[in-house]
Amino acid sequence: MSAAVEIRRLTKTYGHKRALDRVDLQVEEGSIFGFLGPNGAGKTTTLRILTGLARPTKGTVRVLGHDVATADNAVRADIGFLPDVPGFYEWMTAEEFLHFAGGLFGIGRKVLDERTGVLLELAGLTGVTTRIGGYSRGMKQRLGVAQALINAPRLLMLDEPTSALDPMGRKEVLDMLQSLRGRTTVFFSTHILADVERICDTVAILDRGRVVVQAPIDELKARYGAEKVVIEVGEGADELAEAIGRMEWATKVERDTNGTISVTVSDAGVASREVPAMVAARKLPLLRMEAGEMGLEEVFVQLVGGGQQ
Amino acid sequence: MNGFSAFVRKEATEIVRTWRIWVLPGMLLMFALTGPLLAKYTPEIIGAVGGSQAAAILKAIPKPTYLDSYAQWAKNLTQIVLFAVIIIYGGLISGERKSGTAVLVLTKPVSRTAFVVAKALVHSVFLAVAVTVGTLVTWGGTALVFGKAAGGPLWSSAMAWLAFGVLFIAIMTLLSSLLGSQAGAAGIGLGVFALISIAGLWEPLATYSPVGLANAPMVLAAGKESAILWPVVTSLALSCVLVALAAWAFRTKEL
Repeated sequence: MSAAVEIRRLTKTYGHKRALDRVDLQVEEGSIFGFLGPNGAGKTTTLRILTGLARPTKGTVRVLGHDVATADNAVRADIGFLPDVPGFYEWMTAEEFLHFAGGLFGIGRKVLDERTGVLLELAGLTGVTTRIGGYSRGMKQRLGVAQALINAPRLLMLDEPTSALDPMGRKEVLDMLQSLRGRTTVFFSTHILADVERICDTVAILDRGRVVVQAPIDELKARYGAEKVVIEVGEGADELAEAIGRMEWATKVERDTNGTISVTVSDAGVASREVPAMVAARKLPLLRMEAGEMGLEEVFVQLVGGGQQ
Repeated sequence: MNGFSAFVRKEATEIVRTWRIWVLPGMLLMFALTGPLLAKYTPEIIGAVGGSQAAAILKAIPKPTYLDSYAQWAKNLTQIVLFAVIIIYGGLISGERKSGTAVLVLTKPVSRTAFVVAKALVHSVFLAVAVTVGTLVTWGGTALVFGKAAGGPLWSSAMAWLAFGVLFIAIMTLLSSLLGSQAGAAGIGLGVFALISIAGLWEPLATYSPVGLANAPMVLAAGKESAILWPVVTSLALSCVLVALAAWAFRTKEL
């Protein structure tokens, strides 16, 4: 499989501020790639460089096999892009804007009419004849997704596409992105973990300008899932949880109502030896002990949590 | 239709569908309609309200002719309309950067050069159409009010000014590519106008460069001779250079 996006040691500085620091990233063609990070991590800067709106300070960036530094109209013809806050000509209607956007790609009238109809339907804007200036932020965001698809792009790049949407709008956009799987490479940035967990096959987590991790989402959860231990005892769960909480290797202890204790551990090996010993010393019935699966949210917090404090 | 022509069409439609259609054409039409009447009746109005002293002064000056109407038109173009052009076009490029529309356009197959050239081109044509219509109305109005209206002085004056107006669209295209602030670009544009007006006082420079166009419309409108070939040719050539510079400046900008 070839790479739709290939970033090597990308650094971007603004004066003394380093927005991106030696970022390496590879997005396989056909994948749905979630670019996750807290606000200010450098996601928008990366997307601006990928779309040629900004230039790298150092490093190389290749999009669909072309270096973005020399990318011309031919590369842009295969890309769809939605910025975080899309700016429209407010005197146009949604249909006029889609026709205008299609015209910039040189799409013929017949095909453009068909696509405009389909995309207006998709954006829930069929029959809306008011000017874009009167739209809500959600309507603009949905139109933004529609305009990014007008050229049936090989690579669709979206910056926080769901952040301004209500739950129904979010679901519709995510369903739509999911329907593109295998046909178009989707690269989208977000700080909403649930969105990534729901539709992405690969994820990269960016924190303070550096890629903390990049992996297929299942692998990532499994890798960090090993760092969590779930224990179920027949009785004495409260006292056991308290004792575990005092251990050096236990970074977080959570109690469920059914007697289950979830422990996030810094050393799974030590925990697997000491937990049974602690249970035996208290003569408690051990019903279950297993490696738990960590949700993406926990992986995210664990990886970038320190930076947020 | 390629990206350039689609963007040109957008730019032209935007003029018709927004405030732009009202401001410059409205201003020009108002001056064109009132100019001939003001030229004809201003002395009578002053005489009526100014008493015997004003009447004595008015007797000493010649009766207004159609050339006074042309002078009125040329004065409005060189002062008020040019100022309006400078202020309106201070945000020609930066306005689209600020509103975010440039990002949606420039991530599609439209080069930054095409973006800048299309804007300078469409607005130059718009100014040409508006000034031509305004000049036609002035011509007709002058003929009606004065009964005589030779075309030469009026049209040579208006076309000389148009070359100057196009030069200022090019100047504002460059300034709005360089600066994010419309007010800042307009301020510098007015400064450039002041400098050109002062430079125009030096005759060798006025004869062979665009600065000659600062005063030429007034001279031509008065029915006098003014060698404007060099000023017009150099002005149009400089406009092309300025737009090319604007495109280069815009290409180096991060959006």
